Amino acid sequence: MRFPPSVRLIKDVDTLLEACDLVKRYGPVNALDGFSLRVAAGEIVGLVGHNGAGKTTFVEIVSSLIRPDSGTVTIDGKSPSAARGQVGVTPQHLGLYPSITVREHLQLFGRLAGLRRTALTAAIDDLAVALRLTEIMGRKTGVLSGGQQRRTQAATALIHRPPLLLLDEPTAGADLETRQAMLDVVKQRAGEGAAVVYTTHYLPELTELQASIAVIRNGKIIARGNYDELVDGLPGEVRIILEDEEEIRVSTTNPTATLIDLLGRTERAISAVEVRNASLDDLYRSLAVNDAS
Amino acid sequence: MLLDTTAAAPARRTTAFDAFGDSVYRISALVRHNILIRLRDPGQMISYVVMPMVLMIVLKPLYVKAVASGTTQVVTGLLVMFSVFAIAIAGSTIMVERHWQTWDRLRASRAPGFELLAGKIIPIFVVMVAQQSILLVYGCAVIGLPVPHNIGLVAVSILVWAFSLLSIGAALATIARSLGELGVISDVGALTISSLGGALVPLSVWPVWAQQAAHASPGYWALRMLQAAIRGDGQGMVLPAVILLALGLVAGVFAVRRLTRGWGRTRLL
Repeated sequence: MRFPPSVRLIKDVDTLLEACDLVKRYGPVNALDGFSLRVAAGEIVGLVGHNGAGKTTFVEIVSSLIRPDSGTVTIDGKSPSAARGQVGVTPQHLGLYPSITVREHLQLFGRLAGLRRTALTAAIDDLAVALRLTEIMGRKTGVLSGGQQRRTQAATALIHRPPLLLLDEPTAGADLETRQAMLDVVKQRAGEGAAVVYTTHYLPELTELQASIAVIRNGKIIARGNYDELVDGLPGEVRIILEDEEEIRVSTTNPTATLIDLLGRTERAISAVEVRNASLDDLYRSLAVNDAS
Repeated sequence: MLLDTTAAAPARRTTAFDAFGDSVYRISALVRHNILIRLRDPGQMISYVVMPMVLMIVLKPLYVKAVASGTTQVVTGLLVMFSVFAIAIAGSTIMVERHWQTWDRLRASRAPGFELLAGKIIPIFVVMVAQQSILLVYGCAVIGLPVPHNIGLVAVSILVWAFSLLSIGAALATIARSLGELGVISDVGALTISSLGGALVPLSVWPVWAQQAAHASPGYWALRMLQAAIRGDGQGMVLPAVILLALGLVAGVFAVRRLTRGWGRTRLL
């Protein structure tokens, strides 16, 4: 199929972000040590790992804030510094001007991204609704709640509808409203074709986003896949509460079969049964155990 | 539909003129933004204009009695002294970006380093030029300073001095570890630079060794340049202007280098 020359496609199958063998050292600390990751347009990748695992360093390299000691990063075939307009970044920490209003923040970052007049106004109005900012557009960010500040920060990264989103713990410390608003917008943007790298410690968010998951440890991706692939083989749990409130807990890779077996063998009356399949929390915990050992 | 705003559509080539226009647009957005921040916290600016005005009136009789060109000394001396205090404005304007953790957010935007710095520096430069101009006009209108014959020379001296101060302030902001430390450095530094340069007490009444030591102070050269400009002595301005420009250039290059690389994880905090 041929397209007119003015049409530029971002195909779903395209790799939008590609990081190969990144190494970054801070003195004796290896923040990244052979980190490689590919993210396709329209894909949400949840980057999970412990504090200090290297998530933020990766985000900073892709944002062109720092340079790797070795390795390469390309964004739609370009270097991070050449592709800065194509990236929307929300850093882990809040970075807002306390004496400037929410609307003025969006105007600034929109203008820096090249939006003008009606396009800028439309983008601001659109995001104000999506991130539930309409009521606070005229308020200075210094007087906003933590959740409102989080949403404002996210809006400044999303204002120009970039093809690549780097969201570094965007819901850290946020309330339920903020979290839901953020997840809705991320899903919407991914649905429109944006590639999203989403770092978080709230693992259920990744389930809701239907994100593929990359687990980072000691500056390296150690596991990559979808939810089912990663939790496959990890033990879930069966919990049986007997009539006299005695509790039986069994950790098992096949909770359903274990439950049937236990029910067949238990002669006492049962007041409650709970079956839990392996989750990302279990994956995370197993990594923690590995780390400790 | 996602915007790929950096991708040049094949049908429309981005010309150098377009790129220049985009750059100007981004710089003007940053200038507007930084003016807003300044206007919402104007106390420092106002005090650095009002205080020397009051002091000029109070100190004029003393200076007129003490030295021959007392009126010129009281106006230019206090102008130099309080313009040095304005280093704190330049420094804090840059340093708050670190304090608010906003500088890296700007660095991650499409605006390259020189645009971020231009957007930051232009409003401060205007503030510094405005401060000195207001004090000179006030000096002529209220204190009795003779109106300079050559306004162009005065304008040049104000621009050169503002440039030097701005660069020094920016460089300080990149090495100070906190706003408190910056405040101490700029306040003590301002008093030292201006008094050592003869802004408070005319150099003619100082001992010889102190007159020699004054050459090390940028305030000395600023005062010499400004007084020469007011006299209409273009030649007398050249050496001080060259020295101040060189100082500004060195401090400016240092600050630009530090700021465009960000504070990173080795940031002085």
